[in-house]
Amino acid sequence: MAGTDLVAAPPRTTPGSSRTPAARRRLERGALYLVLTVIAVVMVVPFVWMILTSLKTPQDLAATPPSFLPAQWAWGNYAEALAAAPFLTYARNSLIIAVSHTAINLVIASMAGYALARLRFRGSELVFIGFVAALMIPTYTKIIPEFLIVRFMPLFGGNDILGQGGTGWLDTWWALIVPGAVTPFAVFLFRQFYLDLPVELEEAARLDGVSELGIWARIMTPLVKPAFITVALLTFESSWNNFLWPLLVTRTDSMRVIQVGLSVFRTENDTQWAFLMAGTTLATVPMVVLFLLGQKYFVRGFANAGIK
Amino acid sequence: MVAPAFLHALIWIGIPVVAAFVLSFTSYDVLTQPRFIGIQNYLDAFGDPVFRRGMLNTLVYAFFTVPVAMAIALLIALMLDTQLRARALFRTAVFIPQVTATIAVALVWLWIYDPRSGLLNAVLSFFGLPAQNWLSSTTWAMPAVITVGIWQGIGLKMLIYLAALQSLPKDVYEAASVDGASRTRQFFSLTLPLLRPATFFVFVTSVISAFQAFDLIYILTDGGPANTTTMMTYEIYKSAFREFRVGYACAQSIVLFVFLLILTLANRRLNGGDSGRH
Repeated sequence: MAGTDLVAAPPRTTPGSSRTPAARRRLERGALYLVLTVIAVVMVVPFVWMILTSLKTPQDLAATPPSFLPAQWAWGNYAEALAAAPFLTYARNSLIIAVSHTAINLVIASMAGYALARLRFRGSELVFIGFVAALMIPTYTKIIPEFLIVRFMPLFGGNDILGQGGTGWLDTWWALIVPGAVTPFAVFLFRQFYLDLPVELEEAARLDGVSELGIWARIMTPLVKPAFITVALLTFESSWNNFLWPLLVTRTDSMRVIQVGLSVFRTENDTQWAFLMAGTTLATVPMVVLFLLGQKYFVRGFANAGIK
Repeated sequence: MVAPAFLHALIWIGIPVVAAFVLSFTSYDVLTQPRFIGIQNYLDAFGDPVFRRGMLNTLVYAFFTVPVAMAIALLIALMLDTQLRARALFRTAVFIPQVTATIAVALVWLWIYDPRSGLLNAVLSFFGLPAQNWLSSTTWAMPAVITVGIWQGIGLKMLIYLAALQSLPKDVYEAASVDGASRTRQFFSLTLPLLRPATFFVFVTSVISAFQAFDLIYILTDGGPANTTTMMTYEIYKSAFREFRVGYACAQSIVLFVFLLILTLANRRLNGGDSGRH
């Protein structure tokens, strides 16, 4: 749509003036808008296609070549998709995990980030280097032993004190929530934000006899609210989108998260594209909305980590 | 105050990495005790044509989704770093795939690539081009996977470049213009060197995510056809969780780690080391 008025833009220049700098600039500008519009369309069309597919009837889906818009808008697909697979249960599980991860990460990582930024204690340098190193560890290098720890967790899921005999944390909320609850990235990001606060504040509070925990909770933390929103959004997003870990540690349908549920639905119902796209829409729309609402913080989070 | 986070990282990152390293020298199937076998797993990994294919594919995938995609991202960022009225809109459009789950977008692309009713073949036939069996063709499967990889990852790269471009000092450019430096010259002698810290960061984060591409492969191709799209991560997953060769999988995962370490350090040498002086 933006493209059409770009194409219309050049004729507005009076004939013969095409070589003046102003006209050339306008032409350049038109070309710029055109290229950017094409890019934006490529980025967005898959999502539009996803939503349109989710509203098509089986006849529409079988048509070759496919029509872009549904001939008949099948709003009932959503209800039928929810009847075909427990997408709402999957989404609820994902929500519980994402909220838990966010809450735990905010408290624990901000405490750690604050301590690393502001307190000098024995080994603080070493601990910081440890967190930076942890940032570098690929998921795939730690995921197998993580799985083994969960599987052999002593005294859980029928395991004895040595972790034998049962299934440990497999297929439990523990496995889904605990291992991914605190991220080194959040610790790192919080540290960056706390580093920027003036030392005077903290010293004044200390003279007034406020405890270190009190300084963190009541004096410093209210000043880095944007950091909290940023970490909350990033944690929630990556937790909601996570796939491999929940795939590995869950067995029963009632414990599945939305991403795993989608993948299972696809293998079990290979050709139900309308239902699958309805489920996919359910899985993506919350994140897109969250991003649109908190765009400023997402951008700041990524940019901060990158530039400092 | 740092103790809870530290303990968490120790249990769920520190110990697992050490355990992966130790287990990589054993034969272990979870049911029986691990047995020390020296470097046999590493010899097996480098001798296995499928894992070698996985390493090659990972490198090819990383080449297109890191340096090539970075160049495209920088180009888009440069286009957006002008007085555009709709800049925020464009930026949002480019970034949206980044915040959505790879599983979800892979499913959408699976449907777009569908040979019979897919959108891509419909668009191609509109332009009179031949339809393809994208994901089951040994020629097209990898380019199809790479396309989705670039499409999903470009937003973050662009965003970081855009933020870096907007924080560049304006007076340097004014001085360069006064001295008569052309815009191309300004780009190569000013913009690129000034963007070095951003480039380093984008490179490191992108390499880490490119080497860990898994969800895409899991949904789109299952590593096929004929292993043309399998990745190191996919082989690790198969060894550990389908074949229960845990020691072998750990060795493969250490190889992946070493690859990443080398690339990061090499880039630091070339790129980040210099910017450290500023």
